[in-house]
Amino acid sequence: MREKRERSVLMGMAEGLVALGKAHGADECEITIVDADEFNVDVRLGEIENLVEAGSRSLNLRVIKDKKTASVTSFDLSRETLHRLIISAIKRAELSSTDEFSGLPSLPRKEVDITALELYDPEIPALSPRKKISLALQTEKIALSHKGITNSHGASFETREIRTLLANSNGFLQEYKETFCSLSVGLQAGETDSRVEDFWFCAKRNFHELDTPEDIAQKAVTRTLRLINPRKIRTQPASVIFEPLMTSWLLGFLFTCVSGTSIYQKASFLVDKLREKIACDNVNVYDHGLLPSKLGTRPFDGEGTPSQRTTVIEKGVLNNYLCNTYAARKLKLKSTGNSEGKDVGPTNFYFQAGKLTPEKIIASMDKGLILVRTIGLGLNPITGDISRGAFGLWVEKGEVIYPVSEITISGNLSEILNNIEAVGEDLEFRSPFSGPTVKVGELMIAGE
Amino acid sequence: MKMNKFSTLNSEKTFPLSKRDIHNILELALCLGADFSEIFFEHRIHSFIHMEEDIIKETSESIVCGLGIRAIHQDRTGYGYTNDLAQEKIKKAALTAAAIADKKSKSHTAPFSPLITLHNFYPISRFPHQEPLEEKIALVNRAYSSAQNFDQRIKKIKVIFSDSTQSITVANSEGVLVSDRRPLVKLTCLTIAEKKGRREAGYCGGGGRVSLDYFQERLTPEEIGQEASKEALLLLEAAEPPAGEMPVVLAPGHSGVLIHEAVGHLLEADFNRKKTSVFWDKMGKMVGSSQLNIFDDPTIPFFRGSYNVDDEGTFPEKTVLIQRGRLVGMLQDRLSAKVMHMAATGHGRRQDFTNIPLPRMSNTYVDRGEHDPEEIIRSVKRGFYAHRFQGGQVEDSGKFTFTVSSGSLIEEGRLTAPVKQATLIGTNVDILKKIEMLGSDLEFGLQTGTCGKEGQVVPVNDGCPTIKISRMTVGGRR
Repeated sequence: MREKRERSVLMGMAEGLVALGKAHGADECEITIVDADEFNVDVRLGEIENLVEAGSRSLNLRVIKDKKTASVTSFDLSRETLHRLIISAIKRAELSSTDEFSGLPSLPRKEVDITALELYDPEIPALSPRKKISLALQTEKIALSHKGITNSHGASFETREIRTLLANSNGFLQEYKETFCSLSVGLQAGETDSRVEDFWFCAKRNFHELDTPEDIAQKAVTRTLRLINPRKIRTQPASVIFEPLMTSWLLGFLFTCVSGTSIYQKASFLVDKLREKIACDNVNVYDHGLLPSKLGTRPFDGEGTPSQRTTVIEKGVLNNYLCNTYAARKLKLKSTGNSEGKDVGPTNFYFQAGKLTPEKIIASMDKGLILVRTIGLGLNPITGDISRGAFGLWVEKGEVIYPVSEITISGNLSEILNNIEAVGEDLEFRSPFSGPTVKVGELMIAGE
Repeated sequence: MKMNKFSTLNSEKTFPLSKRDIHNILELALCLGADFSEIFFEHRIHSFIHMEEDIIKETSESIVCGLGIRAIHQDRTGYGYTNDLAQEKIKKAALTAAAIADKKSKSHTAPFSPLITLHNFYPISRFPHQEPLEEKIALVNRAYSSAQNFDQRIKKIKVIFSDSTQSITVANSEGVLVSDRRPLVKLTCLTIAEKKGRREAGYCGGGGRVSLDYFQERLTPEEIGQEASKEALLLLEAAEPPAGEMPVVLAPGHSGVLIHEAVGHLLEADFNRKKTSVFWDKMGKMVGSSQLNIFDDPTIPFFRGSYNVDDEGTFPEKTVLIQRGRLVGMLQDRLSAKVMHMAATGHGRRQDFTNIPLPRMSNTYVDRGEHDPEEIIRSVKRGFYAHRFQGGQVEDSGKFTFTVSSGSLIEEGRLTAPVKQATLIGTNVDILKKIEMLGSDLEFGLQTGTCGKEGQVVPVNDGCPTIKISRMTVGGRR
């Protein structure tokens, strides 16, 4: 019952605001309402540290008049405030410049079947606080029971239930509900002056897909303990194996470089490279917004463009840039359903798995580094240059011989993409960016 | 005649609760026996202008409005928030927070003694949100054209202006009732220069807790635009940075980010209370050379990281972190201070009403030393001079990085070839001992920095004089 009423109230509100914008002279008007409920528990050393439970609702608005754009975000949803904001935004649009590329997308011809996407798990809002707290406590307890783990950053269990509604003056009016849950733990090992740390996590839309506390704790412990007593290595070029989390990190950087926004702004080394070979044959990268239950899946993007599967790189050839409506118009391309806020965002952006097990890839390495974690900034999309602080494991003759830290890796994304020697079979969708284990020919490692 | 037609956001919501309401809600949050309860109310108006490809692409305004209710029981925190200010929603948030305690008995609030703020670290006559949008657009245009006209090789320019006025009120069960109203302004320019297919970026910006007069008196939009172009052009000629361990000299001002990462974060009290920071057992001990003095000061007028009162109602204090090489202080919020039996230093900050406050930095800096900066560079035979910084990251074990956007080689005591982006890495306890010389030229960074911790972003600034580090790993490519 509550469900139905809420739905009509929000939809009615959005439609009313779109109509108000039109009535006050906007040529086009777009309203997004996000209603989010959050639960988060942090536990540490067996006790609750923080318990947060709350809901909030926010509204985004975009108006276009004479091809001039103004926008608004508000957490104050009182009728009076919203009316004032809309009217002032329409006036304010006059101060923007005429931009022939501005404007909303036309009404899509097809609709995505939202239920087939498995975005919402009713089990999540039904979880009792007791159950949620005990998952975090259990995870940390299992991790701390291991000898060698000397301190804890704590464990957290988090859930979110979000309703997103989009309405625009071209007649778009749709909403969807989604859920998320995540369980994580961070650990330290070693004594104060020689401490190492790592963490592990799992995030899913459906509760039954979440890894168990045992799995998450065990993985965090293994990851932390393997870093104890690191050495610093000599400065040298060496092959590098990217663990799946690191491949995902690299894909985040690749995403920036193929985003239509970076391309039209000429802020990417991949400008003017469409349909060119930019990587080895074994590089296949997709953005797929329709994979059921995956974290980046959604029926439509921030402007109402239906999600799709876009081939970004296939057999090393750059096939598509990822665009919102604006970037697409600038580049004379089609929107790929990647609008997010004012920019372009990923859905499920992934590197297709290969055939090798990670063990095989390691065994094939004569000498080099397994990259475990990087810290810092040091990514330059304009040049593709990478320079980051790194933690890893040193391999000789196919075996890990010791952990390394206080080193940096540096290279260039273009060179890396053209130098992928092996691709693992271990692709898992752990975040909107996902990739398997990947071996890269040579990067510069700075150490002693 | 100047029309003021677009500064429409003056009807700010004032604190929605009467003293009686506040009392009742604080009591409600104590109904299960928590030791402490608190209401944080925030109303923020924010405006934003984006110029690119020679046009004003978009302007936007936003309103953040809501309140968070916190209850603390021993070292446990319960938190609820809402942006719907209806009484029943506020009560629900209070009950959510209250549930962190589970005693049968109720605790009670103290009578209010409203705090009167006698200081004002942002003494400005007009808040930026009161200024007409046309005037802000004019600043953007000026920065844009001076960047563009600087050189023909400048191919792309992006100028962003943003300002906000954040009004907060904190009330708690110990009787504190205090408000603050904080301006924040930022004008940044990003440029891309191009030559024979090679592209490089430059950046500059300025602002702080200032009025728009700042752009007349302190740093003009023209200077911002030109500086950004200069950097991009310099990088067009820059070589690949070197790789390996070598002496590193940090330029004054921007290099303060090193201290932010290497020292500041790990002296935030929560990491020491939990003993995850490498510093937790080193209080009172020598950790660096006796010339080294490091402060965090939220009371520097007009600075980005400053505030009249922190986000949990404590007046801030200039805090000594390292004195003559000895570790003497840390940055305390209310919770850590209580658990550690130390005094709060007024460093409890939060991104917005949806977040629990954490101990955070404000304006962090290394105090000046005695050496002539020229002498410091002369003392290096072969090394790396770090000029401009993008930022950095640290983990509790003390491993930290910072990324240099432009630098130079030092050869035979002189700055020679410019070099481009490199990340430097070190371990903090080790690097502090390797600080060999401190210049007499203390400067502060660009007043555009933000710091992220546990997903919360707050404005900060940092500073330092010229610093020589005897050896550090430079992550170059050759």
